[in-house]
Amino acid sequence: MDDDQSAEETAFVVDEVSSIVKESLEAVIGRNPYEQKRVNQWVSSVVEQCLGQLSKLSKPFKYIVTCIIMQKNGAGLQSASSCFWDNTTDGSCTVRWENKHLYCIVSVFGLAI
Amino acid sequence: MSDLAKEKAARLLKKRGSLSSLGSHEVRAKEAFAKTKDSISTVSYMEEPGHHDDIPRPAVQMENTYQLSPTQRFPVLTVKDILKDVLTSYLQEEKYEPELCRQMTKTISEVIKARVKDLMIPRYKIIVIISIGQIRDQNMRMGSRCLWDETHDNFSSHTFKNSSLFATATVYGVYFE
Repeated sequence: MDDDQSAEETAFVVDEVSSIVKESLEAVIGRNPYEQKRVNQWVSSVVEQCLGQLSKLSKPFKYIVTCIIMQKNGAGLQSASSCFWDNTTDGSCTVRWENKHLYCIVSVFGLAI
Repeated sequence: MSDLAKEKAARLLKKRGSLSSLGSHEVRAKEAFAKTKDSISTVSYMEEPGHHDDIPRPAVQMENTYQLSPTQRFPVLTVKDILKDVLTSYLQEEKYEPELCRQMTKTISEVIKARVKDLMIPRYKIIVIISIGQIRDQNMRMGSRCLWDETHDNFSSHTFKNSSLFATATVYGVYFE
């Protein structure tokens, strides 16, 4: 019984993390158009909010959160990640989000301690 | 003989639990407007889902090493040189094409991971992130923040640009306590 509980608590739960990310994106950017002056602040707020919520989960994990915000201008973007870690305990989650004026890609990597 | 060696290698890999997990995402240029919704979101996982369910492995119990800090730190400058080297050699003369760059991101991330692994820094987990984008008068911002141990963990990144594309490579090194 104890083993099952501890396994659940120490696994990287993708759904939880993705909902945290989506909430903070909606809260910070919402429907705003791409504004160069504010985008710096948006990236910082999105990432800080995500990290704050993730640390509240109180799981024994180190987190890396990256955020890319790009204006919708007809240009393409490719992104890939490759990780050397323990597949049983570590995980990652990437959320692609967009509104009418910009694209946003947020990646969360969780590494077990 | 070779079969035995292959089996051994496969067992070793399983034990160490390292798997190359590739996650690749593409943002396609959309000409049409998103009519109905104001915001759309998609979630992606690693490219090999369900791996945990296939092989029920018992949790690996590590013995106590009584080691508090790493013997060798994450070599930021060495890794930056690796990134510079790999990006310029692969992308110097390339033009942005969706298919080519999709393959390129996957290949480059694997190559960088292999070269950083060759440095053989013990007890460090490595994460490599590559983004290749087209230059088209758009503006873009990338940021990242990490919740980790300042004294042991570090990262290194490099950006490469030519006339038609830009590429950003970031490597994070996290100490496994």
